[in-house]
Amino acid sequence: MTYWSPIVGGVDAVFKALADPTRRDLLDALFAEDGQTLTALEERVPMTRFGVMKHLKALEEAGLVVTRKRGREKLHFLNPVPIRLIHDRWVSKYAEPWASALTELKTQLEDTP
Amino acid sequence: MNVTTISFAQGTAPVGDTAVFEIFIKATPEQIWGAITDPVLRAKFSFGVQTQSDWATGSSYQASVPGIVAIAEGENLVVEPPHLLVQSFTALWSDEVKAQGTTRVTWEIEQVGDSCRLTVVHDQLPESANAELYGGWPMILSGLKTLLETGEMLTTPGSLMYSQS
Repeated sequence: MTYWSPIVGGVDAVFKALADPTRRDLLDALFAEDGQTLTALEERVPMTRFGVMKHLKALEEAGLVVTRKRGREKLHFLNPVPIRLIHDRWVSKYAEPWASALTELKTQLEDTP
Repeated sequence: MNVTTISFAQGTAPVGDTAVFEIFIKATPEQIWGAITDPVLRAKFSFGVQTQSDWATGSSYQASVPGIVAIAEGENLVVEPPHLLVQSFTALWSDEVKAQGTTRVTWEIEQVGDSCRLTVVHDQLPESANAELYGGWPMILSGLKTLLETGEMLTTPGSLMYSQS
């Protein structure tokens, strides 16, 4: 099964990208307001433009940030899909038996007159 | 057509009216296009929801669980198999999402080596859009990847919420 192969840097890149607090702050900034320029994102973190660019590059390589052009601007968007893939790959394996047992219990309780 | 300019053709789109979802899938553009446009395949990674259309430019489409619930409807604005599909999108599954009005969904399929980059751009969203409108895309794309790469369906909680089997 090839769940992982083609996301640019694979699952390692995603975990590595998420392991850094500045990169998590950048993702939170995009979650709050999606589609921001580098200049706007620079104001969100106490760091040089070069530092922000470096972190954005790591996020892009992990597939967590996607850029689109609007005119001469480059906008950065949060791409939540790799996080979903981690959820589907790991949560389905380890947490789902509990989740489905709870769902079943909920259904039973709600159906009880 | 330069697809990268579609979202912002007027250059006036306010920041925040657009959500972008990207995934790499080890499949051909034709396989991905087929999975998006075949109602039976589509249901397998879209919460059990079928999408019916003749897929001609300007034609309409309906997404529903037949006889149970209407999910969405709209027009096929650009149909260029197997690389580009632009659709208007009006959500129908609740009064709250109906009140959000008509938005736009663009599917871009680009071959990269032996895989494809699939990008879904959901734009023309209203200000402070209801996250339900676009919140399902990650699960749909994850399910599409699993289906095409393994032939299996995702069974994570919620992924088959409307499935009738």
